[in-house]
Amino acid sequence: MTPTRAFVLLLLPLLAALTVPRAFALTEEEVERRVLELSDELRCPTCQALSVKDSEASFSVQIRDKVRRMVREGQSDEAVKAFFVARYGEWILRAPKKEGIGLLLWVLPFTLILLGGGLLVWHIRRRGAAAPAAPAAALSAEQRDAIQRDLKRFREED
Amino acid sequence: MWTSWKFWTVMGSIALLAALLAYGFTVDPKMVPSPLVGRPAPPFEVQQLNGTGRVSLADLKGTPFILNFWASWCVACRDEAAVLQQAHRTYEIEQKKVRVIGIAIQDAPVAALSFARQFGKTYFLALDNAAGDIGLGFGLYGVPETFFVDAGGIIRHKKIGPVSSREIREQVNLLTQPR
Repeated sequence: MTPTRAFVLLLLPLLAALTVPRAFALTEEEVERRVLELSDELRCPTCQALSVKDSEASFSVQIRDKVRRMVREGQSDEAVKAFFVARYGEWILRAPKKEGIGLLLWVLPFTLILLGGGLLVWHIRRRGAAAPAAPAAALSAEQRDAIQRDLKRFREED
Repeated sequence: MWTSWKFWTVMGSIALLAALLAYGFTVDPKMVPSPLVGRPAPPFEVQQLNGTGRVSLADLKGTPFILNFWASWCVACRDEAAVLQQAHRTYEIEQKKVRVIGIAIQDAPVAALSFARQFGKTYFLALDNAAGDIGLGFGLYGVPETFFVDAGGIIRHKKIGPVSSREIREQVNLLTQPR
C-alpha cells in the first residue's frame, strides 16, 4: 500500500463523520430544546389559549411526540410547522406568519399606533396655535392691584 | 356637521363594524375550516378491531367512503352511533355506494369493542395507534369528526361533531354523483 493510499484510507472515517446529517448528531438536550420551542409555537387544538407546550391534553401530548419524532428524523423547524399547518391551517401557529395576510397582522398595530400618535401631536399643535395663552396685558389695573396686595400679604406672613 | 372629517370618521368606523358584523352572520359558527378539504386524504392502514381484516387508503381507491373518528369515552359518539350504523346498512350494504369506516382514537381495544357491541356497530371499525398518527394526519380537533372522501381519494367534506342522517344522505349523493 502506497503512503498516499494509506493516508486516504485514514481520512475516510473522518470524512464520513463530517458528512453525517446534523440530525443524527443532535443530543437529547438539543432535541428537547427544539421540541419545547416548536411546541410553544403550536396551539393546542382542544384548549383555550394554550400552547402545545403548556397543555397536557391528549392531543397536545401526541403533537409533542410527533414533533419529537420529526426532529429526531432530522426535519427542519419549517418542515415540522408546515406538517401541522397543512392539516390544521395557519390557526395552529400561535404567531401569524410574517408574510401575506399574516404580515398585515404584524404591521397593522404598529402602523395604527404611529398614526394615532401623529394625529394626537398634530391635534395638540393645532389647538395650541389656534388658542394662544392670554397675554398678561389682558389684566385690568384692578386685578393687578389685587395680585400685588396678595403677594405683599404672603410675604408679610412669611 | 356633514362636512366635518370627525363626523365622517365616526360614521366610517360604525359602517366598518356593521359590515364586519353582517359578514359574521353569513358564516356558520359551527363550521371549522379545514385545509384538508379538497385535498387527497392522508394515507393510512388499519387493522379491524376484531382482527379479521385490514384496510388502507390504497385499498379504497375507486370507492367513496365515510371515515368517522370516534372513541368509547366520547359521549357525543353515542348519539351518532345509530346514524352511522344506519348509513352502513343503507349506503354500504343495500346500495353499495360507499364504505363506512370508523377509527377510534386515544382508546383501548377492549373499551372500543365493548362500545361497538353496546351500540350495535357492525361496519369496519379500527383503532388508531398510541401515537395518534392517523388522527394527527387528519388534523383532528376531537371526536366525533367525520370525513367524506370521494372515489379519487379527495376529501370533499369534513364534519366536526355528531353527523346527522340528512348530512350523510346529502354528502353520499355528492360523493356518488358523476363529476
